[in-house]
Amino acid sequence: MAVKALLRRMTPLDRAIVLILLAGAATTFFYLGAGARGQRVVAEQNGRIVFAAPLDENRTASLTGPLGETVLSIRDGRARILSSSCPLKICMGMGEVSRAGELLACVPNGLLVRIEGPPEKRSHDLISY
Amino acid sequence: MRFTRPIIIVVLLIALAFFSLQRLAGDGTETVRRSRLLMGTVVEIEASGKDAERLDRTVTEAFNEMERIEGLMSPRRPDSDVARLSLSPAGTEVSPETAEVIDLGLDVSAASDGAFDMTLGRLKDLWGIETESPRVPSPTEIREALAGCGRQALRLEGTRVIKTDPKVAVDLGGIAKGYAIDRAIAVLRQGGVEIASVNAGGDIRLLGDKGRPWRIGIRHPRDPDGLTATLILGETAVVTSGDYERFFEADGVRYHHLFDPRTGTPASLSRSATVVAKTAVQADALSTAAFVLGPEAGLKLLEDTPEVEGLIVGADGAAVLTTGLKGRVEWP
Repeated sequence: MAVKALLRRMTPLDRAIVLILLAGAATTFFYLGAGARGQRVVAEQNGRIVFAAPLDENRTASLTGPLGETVLSIRDGRARILSSSCPLKICMGMGEVSRAGELLACVPNGLLVRIEGPPEKRSHDLISY
Repeated sequence: MRFTRPIIIVVLLIALAFFSLQRLAGDGTETVRRSRLLMGTVVEIEASGKDAERLDRTVTEAFNEMERIEGLMSPRRPDSDVARLSLSPAGTEVSPETAEVIDLGLDVSAASDGAFDMTLGRLKDLWGIETESPRVPSPTEIREALAGCGRQALRLEGTRVIKTDPKVAVDLGGIAKGYAIDRAIAVLRQGGVEIASVNAGGDIRLLGDKGRPWRIGIRHPRDPDGLTATLILGETAVVTSGDYERFFEADGVRYHHLFDPRTGTPASLSRSATVVAKTAVQADALSTAAFVLGPEAGLKLLEDTPEVEGLIVGADGAAVLTTGLKGRVEWP
């Protein structure tokens, strides 16, 4: 009943303002939500971009480095190294990345994979490890 | 339509002005972020300033400088100072940069009573932890690899490094990366960059600030996605040495790459050691030394070193930190 009373007391301008504020909040929510996920997968070798693709399209890419082939998989908005001809396979153990700024690297095969997109809001600037 | 709610209009206009200003971000600051594979790791440089083209050029110069340092100090490059030094029976002339690194390394070696050791090249080759076929050597092999090693095995006369034992193989793995980071920061500073970070595989140096202190997460030694703590820092360097970086497992035992020079086996008192110092080269060497010494002696070393702070996670998972870090740490 209180809601009905409130609605009765609102002028058309009040209603317009409420609508504008709600639309603003929805837009902000949409943009912040999108910022958490990356948009593109970019692979570099020796500073040169050798592969780029949207993160939301499933695909597999074979990238050739000095040691042979490294296979990159993009599936369900996540990228990971499926197989690699490097000796220790550390790149395969790095798991999946999906957020802007995250990296996969196969150092022996000279391959760097980066997720690009709007920066994510995090609790820290960098991680020391 | 009558204006019956003037206060709402004022609030709305203020909110609109605020969001518009935020969106326009009127100071014109540009940020360049680039990554390269150098020194066996991913190096990321982020630099902010007014002129994007100049920033980009300066970041390229910083990467080039790191690559030059790698060429001087990588044991895998046959013409590097380090490779030549290891092959030479009595020592050799090195570049001023390599001499500077060895000089600082000898200081940390002395302060840590030999826990930081630049003469473990043969021992590292023996274990082969960073190779395809690592193995646990026999006690006899370890004894032989340690023969002649230690801080007394190297001496510096100007830019000439003297070896007291011909077999000694020099390894600057615990210090060269920090030096390269410092050189990159120097190049960025010379290029007029006021706000930047250089992150070489988690070894970090910070320049300026973003209008607020930097927040540096310290990786949890046993949870790759978790943080042990977050440090609130100004313009400084942060380096962490951990037993999770490079290791292999044999018969259920983890053998990592940070050796205790006293035993020739992986140091067992710590899981990780993080050092905050003015330069990355000092933080790099001290983090290795503190890791080897463990929470008790390692913490004392850090407390006794001027303008240095740190956090050590012991083998039991408990963290200790220097008094100067208290108030600058957030726990998860």
